[in-house]
Amino acid sequence: MLKKAREQEQTISILVNNQPGVLSRVGGVFGRHGYNIKSLCVAETTNRDVSRITLTSESDPDFTEKIKKQLDKLVDVIEVSDVSGQSYIQRELMLIGLTVKEGAYSDILRAIELFGCRIVTMTPDYFILELTGQPDETAAFLKFFQSFGVEEINRTGSIAIERTKPQRRI
Amino acid sequence: METIGADIIIQILREEGVDVIFGYPGANTLPIHDRLINSEVRHYLMRHEQAAAHAADGYARATGKVGVCIATSGPGATNLVTGIATAFMDSTPMVALTAQVSTSLLGQDAFQETDIIGITLPITKHSYQVHDVNNLAATLRQAFELAKTGRPGPVLVDLPRDILSSKCPAAEEKAAPALKANYKTEEDREQLEMIAKTLNQSERPILIIGGGVKLSNAFLLVRELIEKAKIPFVTTMMGIGSVDSINGYNLGLIGTHGNELANSMVHQCDFILAIGTRFSDRSTALIEEFAPLAKIAQIDIDPTSIGKSIKINLPYVGDIRDALTALLPLIDAKEKSEWLQRIQSERDAITGKVADTGCGLAGDFIRMVQEAMPVETTVTADVGLNQIWTVRTWQARSPRSLITSGGMGTMGFSLPAAIGAKIGTPERAVVAITGDGGFYMNIQELATISYYNLPIKIVVINNGHLGMIRQIQDLFYNARFNTIELGSKVDFVAVARGFGIPGSRIAVDKDPQAGIEAMVKADGPYLLEAVVDPENYVYPIIPPGCSNIEMMYDRLD
Ligand SMILES: Cc1ncc(C[n+]2csc(CCOP(=O)(O)OP(=O)(O)O)c2C)c(N)n1
Ligand SMILES: [Mg+2]
Repeated sequence: MLKKAREQEQTISILVNNQPGVLSRVGGVFGRHGYNIKSLCVAETTNRDVSRITLTSESDPDFTEKIKKQLDKLVDVIEVSDVSGQSYIQRELMLIGLTVKEGAYSDILRAIELFGCRIVTMTPDYFILELTGQPDETAAFLKFFQSFGVEEINRTGSIAIERTKPQRRI
Repeated sequence: METIGADIIIQILREEGVDVIFGYPGANTLPIHDRLINSEVRHYLMRHEQAAAHAADGYARATGKVGVCIATSGPGATNLVTGIATAFMDSTPMVALTAQVSTSLLGQDAFQETDIIGITLPITKHSYQVHDVNNLAATLRQAFELAKTGRPGPVLVDLPRDILSSKCPAAEEKAAPALKANYKTEEDREQLEMIAKTLNQSERPILIIGGGVKLSNAFLLVRELIEKAKIPFVTTMMGIGSVDSINGYNLGLIGTHGNELANSMVHQCDFILAIGTRFSDRSTALIEEFAPLAKIAQIDIDPTSIGKSIKINLPYVGDIRDALTALLPLIDAKEKSEWLQRIQSERDAITGKVADTGCGLAGDFIRMVQEAMPVETTVTADVGLNQIWTVRTWQARSPRSLITSGGMGTMGFSLPAAIGAKIGTPERAVVAITGDGGFYMNIQELATISYYNLPIKIVVINNGHLGMIRQIQDLFYNARFNTIELGSKVDFVAVARGFGIPGSRIAVDKDPQAGIEAMVKADGPYLLEAVVDPENYVYPIIPPGCSNIEMMYDRLD
C-alpha cells in the first residue's frame, strides 16, 4: 500500500492487558505505519488478566523504531519481545486438504511418515493432514505437498515460549 | 442525595484540582450536568463541542494544567474530534469526557450511539470506556495521570449513561494507581557526558528549542544553558516563547515558514542540541539537506520522537528538566565566539534584504497591536498567513504567551483557545488573532465570549481570501486562482455587534492606530477587523520539496 513490500519477517511476542479493544490498538500501530501482519495468535496466559499476542509481521531495518517503540508506548502493552532468536521455542500448526491422485498414494504416505505429520481424516481421494513444527518445517511441508495438489490450507501462525524458566512472573 | 457515578466524576475532578471544564450537554450527559450544579467546578457552555475541546486545549497551554472538556454521545462526541486531534499533535494534557448510551444498548446502534473510542484511537494517548461504576474513580485518576505524565496528550473517557446514574459509594481517597513505566528515564550519564563534550568542542553550535521545553517547564534551565554556553538558539513553532524572544541569542523560527537567519545558521552549524522537538517536516524542510554539517544530539522524553525522521548521533531519552540539570554542570562556560560574530554579520546583512520580518504591512500591524497591549498579554494565533505573520512578529516574552496549533494547523483554533486562555489566566490580557477564513470556522464562539463577557480582543485580519492558499497558488500553480476567494460582503463589525460585541474596522495601510487604541481601551470584548491586501504574503518562503536555505523572496525568484 504505502511502500514496496518488505522482504524480511519478524516474529514478536507482546504481553498485553486482557481487555476489549486491545487488539485493535496493537493492530493500529502496524496499520498506521504500513506494515502488513502475516500471522497473529492471541491467548490468555497463566495470569488471566494478561494475554499474549504472538505476531509475525513484515519487517525492515526501521521495524524497531517504527513498531516496537510505538507498541511500548501503548498503555495496555506490558512487554514486547523479539522471539525470532535462539532463546525461544516457536511452533506453528498447519492443516492442509490434499487431493490424492492415482499413482501418488505411496509417495504421499512416505512423505507423511518423513514429515511426521498426521492424517486427521481421509477418503480415497482426499486427505486432511496436520503438521506441527517450526515455521521453516511447516513451510517446507507446504512446499512439498503443493506438488500433489493442495486444495485447502489453514495455519495458526507462530506461537512461541521462552526456552528456560522465565525470570519474572506476570 | 445518594451518591451516583456522576458524583464520582466531580469528586475526582476536584481531587485533580479541576475547577473549570468546557462543554456542551445532551440527554446522556445530564447526570453530570445535574451534579455540577452544587459543585465547585464551573462549566462553560460553549457554542460547539469543537470549541469546547479547543478551549480546554488553550486553557491547558496557558496554565500548564490538564484541560477538561465534556460532550454528549454521538454528534457531541464526534464534534470533539478535531479538537482532540489538535491537542494530540501538540501534546497538550487534556481529558475529554464523552457520554455514551447505556451499557445495555452498546452495539445496538442506539440513538446517538457512536464508537468514539474507535474513532479517536489514533488521536488519543489512551482511552477508556467505563463498564462498572466501581472502576470509575480509578479510571479517571489514571486518565489524569496519563494525560500529564511522560509526553502529555489527550485521554478520552467514555461514560455510558447508566454508569453515570448508578448508585455507588463515594470514592475512597486513594493515590493514583501505579502506571506502567512507559519511559525508562534512568539517567544515562555517559551519554550526557558525550553530549556535553561534543558541545564544548564544537565551534558552531546551535540549540533547537521545541514545544517539549514548555511541556516540561524547563525554561529556566534552557536559559541557563544558553547563557553559560553562549549558544545561539532557534525555535520550532511550538517552542516560541520558551525563552524570551528578545534574548540576543535568538535567531528566530526554523522551517518552511521560518526566518532566514535561523534556517541559514542551522545549515552552517557543526553541532545541534535539539530539546523537545521531533524534527517535523515543517521544521526541517527537505530532510536530506537539513543541517548537512552538523552532529545532532537530541533530548526527548518520548523514545518514538528520537530519530523518527533524521539520524541522531547522540540521542537521550528522558525528562528535559532532569537531563538539563545533569547536563549543565558538564558544560564549559564560553566566551563570545567567532561563530557569534559571524551570526551577527549575517543578521545585519539579512535585515537589509527583506523588510525586517518579511510580513509586510500585516506584520507591522501585528507589531503595533503588541506594542499597544500590556507586556503581560497572551496571544493566540490561528492558521494561515495570519499565523505566520503572528509567530514571526509577535515577541513572545514568556513561555506560555503565544498559543497556536502547530502540528495540526487547525483553522478556527485561535478564538476558542483564547477563551480557554482567558479563563485559565484571567490576570493576563488575551488577544485572538485570526484570518477571515479561520474566523468563520468557529465564529459562533463570539456568543460564548459575549455571554460570559470575557474581555478578549479579537483581531480579524481580513484579506477576503484564504491567503496562505492564495500565495501557494500564486507562486507554485502559475497564479491559477481557484476556490480561495471569501469576498468582502460580510461586515464583521456588524456581525460582532449582532453578538453583542463592539468593534471597528481599519485598514492596515491607512491609520490602524485609532482602531488599536479603541480595542485596547475597551473594558470587555472587542473585535478589530483589519483589512489587508490579499497579496500581502509571507517572504521568504521555502518552496515545497526544497531545503531550508532555498528561499524565495518574491514570485519572480
Ligand atoms: C480546518 C482547516 N481546513 C483547511 C486548512 C487548509 N488551510 C491552511 S491555511 C488556509 C487559509 C486560511 O485562510 P484565512 O483563515 O483567511 O487566513 P489567511 O491565510 O488569509 O491569513 C487553509 C484553507 C486548514 N489548515 N485547516
Ligand atoms: Mg484570509
